[in-house]
Amino acid sequence: MNQIVSRRFFLSATAAMGGGLMVGISFSNTALAAAGSTVNVWVTIAPDESVTILSSGAEMGQGVLSSMPQIIAEELLVDWTKVKTGAAPSGSQYLNPVTHSQSTGGSNNIRSWFKPLLTIGAATREMLVSAAAQSWGVPVSQCKAVQGAVINTATNATLTYGALASVASTLPVPTSPAVLSSAGSYKLIGQPVARPDIPSKTDGSAIFGIDVRVPGMIYAAIKHPPVFGSTVNAITSTPAGAKSVNVGNAVVVTGATTWDAFRNAKSTQVSWTVPAGNSSASSSTILAKATALLKNGPTTPAETIGDVKAGLAAAAKQINVTYTLPFVPHACMEVLNCTASVTATSCEIWAPTQGADANLRTAIALTGLSAAQITIHPVLMGGGLGRKFEQDFISQAILASKALGAPVHLTWSREEDFSNDFYRPMAVCSVNAGIDASGAITAWNNRIISPSVMMRMFPAYVKNGLDTVAVAGAVALPYKMGSRYVDYANVPSPVPVGFWRSVGESVNNFVLESAIDELAALAGKDPYAYRAAQLSDARALGVLKAVAGMIGWSTKPATGHARGIAVSEGFGSYIAIAIEMTAATASTVTVTRVCAAVDCGTVVNPDTVVAQIQGGVVHGFSSALWGNTPISGGAAQLRNFDNYALTRMGNMPHIDVQIVNTPGAPLGGIGEVGVPAVAPALANAYFALTGKRLRGLPLKIVTPIYGDD
Amino acid sequence: MATQAVTLTVNGTKHTVNVDPSTPLLWVLRDALGLTGTKYGCGIEACGACTVLVGGGAEKSCEMSVQDASGQNITTIEGLAATPMHKVQLAWIAEQVPQCGYCQSGMILKAVELLQQTKTPTDAQISAAMSNLCVCGTYQRVRAAIHRAAAM
Repeated sequence: MNQIVSRRFFLSATAAMGGGLMVGISFSNTALAAAGSTVNVWVTIAPDESVTILSSGAEMGQGVLSSMPQIIAEELLVDWTKVKTGAAPSGSQYLNPVTHSQSTGGSNNIRSWFKPLLTIGAATREMLVSAAAQSWGVPVSQCKAVQGAVINTATNATLTYGALASVASTLPVPTSPAVLSSAGSYKLIGQPVARPDIPSKTDGSAIFGIDVRVPGMIYAAIKHPPVFGSTVNAITSTPAGAKSVNVGNAVVVTGATTWDAFRNAKSTQVSWTVPAGNSSASSSTILAKATALLKNGPTTPAETIGDVKAGLAAAAKQINVTYTLPFVPHACMEVLNCTASVTATSCEIWAPTQGADANLRTAIALTGLSAAQITIHPVLMGGGLGRKFEQDFISQAILASKALGAPVHLTWSREEDFSNDFYRPMAVCSVNAGIDASGAITAWNNRIISPSVMMRMFPAYVKNGLDTVAVAGAVALPYKMGSRYVDYANVPSPVPVGFWRSVGESVNNFVLESAIDELAALAGKDPYAYRAAQLSDARALGVLKAVAGMIGWSTKPATGHARGIAVSEGFGSYIAIAIEMTAATASTVTVTRVCAAVDCGTVVNPDTVVAQIQGGVVHGFSSALWGNTPISGGAAQLRNFDNYALTRMGNMPHIDVQIVNTPGAPLGGIGEVGVPAVAPALANAYFALTGKRLRGLPLKIVTPIYGDD
Repeated sequence: MATQAVTLTVNGTKHTVNVDPSTPLLWVLRDALGLTGTKYGCGIEACGACTVLVGGGAEKSCEMSVQDASGQNITTIEGLAATPMHKVQLAWIAEQVPQCGYCQSGMILKAVELLQQTKTPTDAQISAAMSNLCVCGTYQRVRAAIHRAAAM
């Protein structure tokens, strides 16, 4: 990465709050600049020796506010207890060096930023060393950085970073800073450091989007149409004392408090323009359309390896099975909200968002202002899960502020949030696969029919009708297969679909690992032994073996208990999950144990990796067991948590997580990795327990808990 | 809706607010008093994000009217966080419980009530008491933090 720094590297110093100095270092690479991307990170060192390091990633629970600064701190050589972290503001200078976007998703931040952040840390450290050399009037070679200070090696004199920051900020930025650390020698990277954002999440001081308060702001709520895709025809009545704004796809209604606005939104009367056919859409009509496509096509090939027809013809035994998955809501704990303040010359936005740069584009489009007139303030997200990439709630707040001539704090009620989601797409997937007498897979023919997210969000990335996100986890498989053919078709419907934590993998890994389990049964083999024999990918095999060891696969489970296992690869990481369960009633089970072994390459904070896998498993548990948005009358039949089950503490057994490092493996993502293999591990365990193969989600084999009221 | 003056005691301080008296306590705390540590999750007492202590007991503030809360001592997460922090908060930090953190104010206050009622709760007692929803899935660490706080 040093060559990036050597191209063009500049420094700006600005007095920062608290009397400290902000050492703003930015550099850009001509290749990245040509692609429209610049890299920028700030380090602020205060006279009290506290070091504030910003993260360009948006925090939604995954720990990025801590893990990005942790990488800089490695090279900067500072005591982690002195580090404060914060979110970088939005702007083109913060674009991810790989994705060229200031969005947080795809488990991408650490993977993309790891080397640039080490370089930023090294450059900052060298400037502090140069400042010390200048202060003492000695050569730089006589000075050495230690934790938070520089030592004069001839005299043992020291100057702290806090004392040096002011001078350092006036010095030229080194053109090729030396990154001192390397894999195997990291001091801070790989340590389970405490997340600096956690204390504020225990005392109520953390500010989420919904907590933003701006002088003069008006509380507001939203009223969406009763049928997907409808638009406002006319607002026919607004409650006394409230104001309503037509924002096209909905009506924004004000109130004295958010609760008052919720009430006013409910009683506002609106006539809607409903697109023809939308009100008849239902889960069953969409499933019927998808099933017709599954049977007759047309489809687009996603992957072709060898001759799958010949492979099937040569097979000793075959399976030909269909799996069905429903639409699933995000249900972030923090409902959608946005605070916007639009004037003739400025626009400020405070929103829990995964897509800060998309917000900027939205604001430009809706206000006609220039980027320089628009400020996107970073705030915490109470969960994101992919939903907070979307621009609907951002647009609504901007339009309402513009119309009302005041700052607007828009909050969706939980009911509006549930019923106006961009759901995880439903899917119908067939697998026709064959094995030879030894169990080896001779042919794998997988067809995926699912509404396309990419066709709506990024149509330019869809070539020949192939949504690569929809087939993620169904192609480039870690198994030995004599032949493979995977194809895909979009099934259009009025139901909005969007990215949902682990996206295609969350659909396709259920199909893959259920069908592999079916092949194991067909071959008369143990599900673990069968996978171990058929996997061709060493890292996949590594996590599989590790999880088998964790759960004690070689020892039979207790009488009445059974186990299931599944492995998944995605986001540059590997995970295997093993689940043990026992019958609770004739139709339900109690899950007694979950083990997960993960290989995500270099680990920045192992405690965060463990937390993300624990949380991912819980999220996978919820969606596999109960995740479903029934559609009828062209609308989602979901309103609130009293009729939508999610995992609660009483449902969740202990989860053991083991990090399995493959030496030298590239850095993988972690935020989404825990989710996909949970559903097939559950279904496979249920098969082992009952002999019954469940090919549809949700599994509904655990009795949910809805709270204590 | 007609507003009226309602007096309530929050974190030891008396406040008088002019609101519709049927306004839920949650929204008076958040929108009238600026105490945003208490969170909205569902509005129907189904998730626990809005849990506060009313007269020492954990209550969901999203469906309790401010009028009903007016005579009682209310403690929100901001009031629990004195110096030093409450042992439940310290245990939460030690176990690195929060991910997104949104549900944690309610979780913590519910745990405070549990430990007031049961000094050393068992796993089963924790599961029974802690029905608060956490979509991040921090349950295992919540459990560990409650055990840790019980031992403090």
